[in-house]
Amino acid sequence: MKIALFIPCLVNQMMPDVAIATLSLLEKLGHEVIFPEGQTCCGQPMTNSGCFDEAKNTTLKLLNAFKGVECEAIVCPAASCLVAAKENFHEFDDSPEAKEVIDKLYELTEFLHDISPIPRFKYPFNHTVSLQMSCHGLRMLSLATPSESMGQQFNKVEAVLQGIEGINIVYPDRRDECCGFGGTFAVDEGAVSAKMGKDKAQAHAATNAQYVVGFDPSCLLHLDGMIRRQLLLIQTRHIAQIIDAAL
Amino acid sequence: MTQSKNHADKATIFCRDENRVDWHNKALWTLREKRDRAAASVPEWEDLRQLGSELKLHTLANLSHYLVEFEKNCQANGIHVHWAKDAAEHNQIALSILAKHQVKKLVKSKSMLTEECHLNPYLEKHGIEVIDTDLGERIIQLNNQPPSHIVVPAIHMKKEEVGDLFHEKLHTPKGESDPTRLTRAARAHLREQFLSADAAMTGVNMAIADIGAVVVCTNEGNADMGANLPKLQLHSMGIDKVIPSADSAMVLMRMLARNATGQPSTTYSSFYKGAKPGGEMHVIIVDNGRSDIMQDKILAESLKCIRCGGCLNTCPVYRRSGGYSYNYTIPGPIGIAVGAKHDETNSIPWACTLCGSCSYVCPTKVPLDKIIAHHRRLKAQQRTLPFGKSSYMPLVGKLMSSPTAFNCAMGSARIALRVLPHSLIKPFSGAWGKYRELPVAPKSSFDTWYKQNKANKSEAK
Repeated sequence: MKIALFIPCLVNQMMPDVAIATLSLLEKLGHEVIFPEGQTCCGQPMTNSGCFDEAKNTTLKLLNAFKGVECEAIVCPAASCLVAAKENFHEFDDSPEAKEVIDKLYELTEFLHDISPIPRFKYPFNHTVSLQMSCHGLRMLSLATPSESMGQQFNKVEAVLQGIEGINIVYPDRRDECCGFGGTFAVDEGAVSAKMGKDKAQAHAATNAQYVVGFDPSCLLHLDGMIRRQLLLIQTRHIAQIIDAAL
Repeated sequence: MTQSKNHADKATIFCRDENRVDWHNKALWTLREKRDRAAASVPEWEDLRQLGSELKLHTLANLSHYLVEFEKNCQANGIHVHWAKDAAEHNQIALSILAKHQVKKLVKSKSMLTEECHLNPYLEKHGIEVIDTDLGERIIQLNNQPPSHIVVPAIHMKKEEVGDLFHEKLHTPKGESDPTRLTRAARAHLREQFLSADAAMTGVNMAIADIGAVVVCTNEGNADMGANLPKLQLHSMGIDKVIPSADSAMVLMRMLARNATGQPSTTYSSFYKGAKPGGEMHVIIVDNGRSDIMQDKILAESLKCIRCGGCLNTCPVYRRSGGYSYNYTIPGPIGIAVGAKHDETNSIPWACTLCGSCSYVCPTKVPLDKIIAHHRRLKAQQRTLPFGKSSYMPLVGKLMSSPTAFNCAMGSARIALRVLPHSLIKPFSGAWGKYRELPVAPKSSFDTWYKQNKANKSEAK
């Protein structure tokens, strides 16, 4: 399958390893991967703040980077940015070209679960991982049943990782409570954000897992800052990095 | 009062006492856990939520019809019905009824609406003694505070603090903090109030149009003690409380208590459809801004709320910032949804990470996170963003929309993070660096890496 990478600004600038792992794992799965030029922020920091005027230019630049790009799927290793991009593209552009882009958008886990399942992993991963079920992926992309929901239970993240030999998947207490990042919330509501992050980091550490593994880089960046501040014995890893290492 | 302080300032103060935050957080999370168990015990829970949502939406879409039907059937039952366009009118109507019966003491139960209308101080100013009779409400009334939660209004107070308060006000032994003994003392005190009251007033959980009845749900039976003892009973309700039928009440009642406290149902769920012999029953139907909310399609869904408080219990921000940080009578997600326009600091829509837990916990599927995000947009459109945002958001917008400028800025940031000692950068990194370690910066961006390692290959294709 021909795949275009959507690498959000935060991943591009601060966590290139996540993007590299995404590219690498998709290639190992036999896909042809391209990285269209001119990508920028999806506009989420602005639209989440209510500032739609300020978001428009940014969002449309990102959308234009994908318009007319020949590919079957556009894959992004960041759930929150993916959701925002989808919503913002809809908001600012209702052309058929925009719809074509929107219809091809997938978050990485979603893609690996729904569209192109991994046939088999090559290497074991003999570690315990505590899954960080970040809010937007969970409640807006339906990557798993949120803990509030009583309906049919499913979990795409676990389903994707389960094929890795030796992996032990655990969850923190209050398994999908928000970690407190929330974009500009981390800055505007510093005290509450930090307390939420502290509690979440401690809950992950209390599982005695070696890694906090998640699908949303921004939450991981925030948790990493909290983990190191508290000198907790756990490290953050993006799901792409775990999968890439096992392929 | 610290009315002018924004949510973040008040939350910062609340967060200073971390033990209290942990205790508050845990007490409310326990309710969420109880709710999860209760909801899981109903196999058709998600279908019930859908039904609850649809029946509330249906009623709201035909509100005038159901209100008129409710009024007509109430009157047929001998109930006096009054209409109030706002809080002031509501208070005047209540006062005129009480004055006509020369009421000196009013016992009250379960009404966030009368809190919203600030009825107590109004009646007290006119010489009527008002006694809140729900235990939690009575505690905060004695403590001279508004509720900090809509279902457990004194949740912010520890039992030792209640003990001190009761020692001072109800003369319980000094140092007494045993909840059972404190509750007994409160019960004895409240019995005296019920017996000496001239009138009773309650809120309304549901108003049933086709039979002309109001439903009041309590755990302490105090609403019934009030409504049944004095001759005069008043019930205040928002226009959003009306529902078509007793059947629809059953749908909502299966979820109300389960979602609030994890109980299968409230201990007392009373239907009042007429005055007791020789008594008088009044219902005051209040708008107070609700029709304005209905003008906006997104905000209108907030009127589906049945006030179970489930969204407060699940909200990670509410649990860690306390009810008094929201600058509105109703705190938490639903408080933001219905109170954002009353907040002078324009800050409460940002007291939320948009995690969406509230929307999933809600028994009538109020899309709280979408409503809160919508409030942010309205604030931006009305140019009433909180100070910080209005100053930096346009700059962020400019920077992000220019890849060159953004790359340049982030390039410098990465170099700074790598080269400079963090102690030097921290003061410039705001709240992030105050509470967290700064990120470990990579050498280059993915862009640069890709150009160096991959770009040539894909160009060849």
